[in-house]
Amino acid sequence: MVLTGRAGILAAAGVVFVALVMPSWAGVGVVVAAVLVVCLVDILLAGSPRRLQFSREGDNAVRLGEQAVVNLLITNPGRRVRGLLRDAWPPSAGVLDPPHKLDLPSGERRRLTTHLVPTRRGDRHAFRVTVRSIGPLGFAGRQGSHQVAWTVRALPPFKSRKHLPSRLARLRELDGRTALLVRGQGTEFDSLRDYVPGDDVRSIDWRATARRGNVVLRTWRPERDRQVVIVIDSGRLSAGRVGDAPRLDHAMDAALLLAALATRAGDRVSLLACDSAVRADVRRPAPQDVLPSFVNALANVEAELVQTDFRIVVSQVLERLGQRSLVVLLTGLDPAVIEESLLPVIGPLLRRHVVLLASVADPRLTELEATRGDLLDVYGAASAARTRLDRDRLTATLTRAGATVVDETPDHIAPALADTYLALKKAGRL
Amino acid sequence: MSTPVGRSVGESWRALRTPLLVTGFIVLAAIVVLIATSARTSGQFSPDSTESTGARALAALLEDHNVDVHGTESLNDAVRTGSGSALLIGPGGSLDDGDWRRIAQAQWSHVILIRPGSRALAALAPGVRPTGNSLATRSRQPGCELPAAVKAGTVTVNGPTYSAPEGATTCYGDGINNTVVRLEVGDRLVDVIGTPGSFMNARLAEDGNAALALNLLGTHRDLTWYLPQWESDYPDSNGESSAQLIPPDVRYIAWALAFAVLVVAIWRGRRLGPVVAERLPVIVHAAETTEGRARLYRRSRARDRAASALRESALGQLHEAHGIPRRADPSAVVATVAARTGRDPAMLYELLYGLPPLTDAALMSLSQELDVLTQEVRHP
Repeated sequence: MVLTGRAGILAAAGVVFVALVMPSWAGVGVVVAAVLVVCLVDILLAGSPRRLQFSREGDNAVRLGEQAVVNLLITNPGRRVRGLLRDAWPPSAGVLDPPHKLDLPSGERRRLTTHLVPTRRGDRHAFRVTVRSIGPLGFAGRQGSHQVAWTVRALPPFKSRKHLPSRLARLRELDGRTALLVRGQGTEFDSLRDYVPGDDVRSIDWRATARRGNVVLRTWRPERDRQVVIVIDSGRLSAGRVGDAPRLDHAMDAALLLAALATRAGDRVSLLACDSAVRADVRRPAPQDVLPSFVNALANVEAELVQTDFRIVVSQVLERLGQRSLVVLLTGLDPAVIEESLLPVIGPLLRRHVVLLASVADPRLTELEATRGDLLDVYGAASAARTRLDRDRLTATLTRAGATVVDETPDHIAPALADTYLALKKAGRL
Repeated sequence: MSTPVGRSVGESWRALRTPLLVTGFIVLAAIVVLIATSARTSGQFSPDSTESTGARALAALLEDHNVDVHGTESLNDAVRTGSGSALLIGPGGSLDDGDWRRIAQAQWSHVILIRPGSRALAALAPGVRPTGNSLATRSRQPGCELPAAVKAGTVTVNGPTYSAPEGATTCYGDGINNTVVRLEVGDRLVDVIGTPGSFMNARLAEDGNAALALNLLGTHRDLTWYLPQWESDYPDSNGESSAQLIPPDVRYIAWALAFAVLVVAIWRGRRLGPVVAERLPVIVHAAETTEGRARLYRRSRARDRAASALRESALGQLHEAHGIPRRADPSAVVATVAARTGRDPAMLYELLYGLPPLTDAALMSLSQELDVLTQEVRHP
């Protein structure tokens, strides 16, 4: 049951009526009875919101920051329904429309459109559709809600895709189209060609030279079909907010750029998101499915406030990799945590695979270290300097152990990780 | 595809039926319990109270001796015609003169006043007055000819005392200050007792207390035990309540206005569907721990740690800029930096490897100098 402003005006007019015409109990009774009767008649004449039938159609997924459109189809088998309709979603689904006006004659069907701009990654479930049906007199009405299930998945935005074209160009440079003269561990024989002055003499194939009579050179190309496993730490190290998003989101962005690049380079990419349990697991999707499957798997991963169990990470990675592969671990460089829980278990990984450890650095630390105003600023600078020194020491330890470390600010982490990948490929370390 | 949320009228009734029944049962039970216990009295000198200041023990003793005790807190029970039976009026409460007069007119054969005030005495025991003196707790002899007291013997007495008019029997006192006074008003026997403590549960068993109480109260088969309350809901002296001063029209307008306010409240208060709740992620800035450590440094005045971190950081930058090996000797570092920047080597040594600063001001200046030095190195 709902009342409208008209009922309020009627009751207010009743006060004037009692004051001027009938100042008695009878007058009060007349006013109360009049308002009640009018409202009751209106409620009885209003169309029933319960009997409406709903269905939905529209977008199921949207990249974070873009707009999704979800349509609501309403069929009215009963009396005419006039009034308001609210399509309720959680606040972070970002509904743009105010409640819709509804005028649905008997037996007809309407389509209402709800525009959503999600403000957070993850699944957003439609909550309820509430209809307020006002009677023909406009004094009162009925209200009822329906559950009309629909889910819009807000996918990771992949902002770093703007860096992809330039990295692909560099990839082509070192791919088969431009033969390499550098021989590395992970390079395979490409072709023989004539020696041109300036070529590296170490690449001369003396056997072929002897056969052909002129100096012949071997060329190499980076090996293809290598395994790349991207591990995203979704534990508390990734929960900290750097800039306007958690470390986890920056890590996802970098992971998506690396996945796109590695797929184009002919490598097979797998994904693992893990804290105290595995949160997302994508194993070697077909090349055209890599990005869709990754963004779908990552859409619902949130940073958990628990300590990541790196033993799970190591055993999961070892389980799915046979040949020598690239393992990219996206985490935070917190000296205490890394030294205590990662370093003791990372040995087997380092022995069998190439390990690349990437971390999002906080530009706020640099800012803190550079600020020297009052006494608290000086202590802040000292504290930031201590944090940076600890990180540097940890980076040195990890590098000595054989891992490659990338520690960059949010804006640079994705391209820096891609560049490191290209450098490893170029050096033939894969 | 869609399912209605909420209940239809029939479903609401079915869902509400059980809670309504249970609520109704609880209300009913509460009413029954209230009625059942309303006869009971409570408080000081109550015949139903088992606390040390109650008189349950005395009431039970009287019942054993075939006296019917009716405990009441209602004035109506005290003003009914009480011919042939006794009325005990407990201490406390507040009645006005009219009430006392009505009790006095109610033809009780025997009235026992426990620690009465002056209004009660004026109405029921003319001539008896409070002396204003109190007796300390002590066992006393009756010191009078009253048979009830003589038989009881020594009694533990304390409390206010009363002076008696001619013809009254006075006991347990010194002749002027008495705690038990008996007098006859017309054909009614009136006892004024200033020592209720003697008859309460705590002390009834001492000396001859119980015997005295039984002798004084057990004169009739019926004893109404009245505990006066605060009876003060009387109209003003003019006989008009404030509600009657308002013109009737205003009252009707106020009711109509209240109804209008209710309608407007229902109109404005109804929401278009409930608020949607959502779990939100925790927002913690990654630099939070570093900032926390800075505050800790400051609170514990850790100038030595702060200085060593700043020096180490500056040294790292110097090493990088000048290509000095990591493990170089301090003197070698100082010599190289001094050569490049033209600073005094002793001052430079003090700046980079000196003792920790002892004051905040020293720390500030150290930080400034290190900053200048690293700026010079970065932009020569």
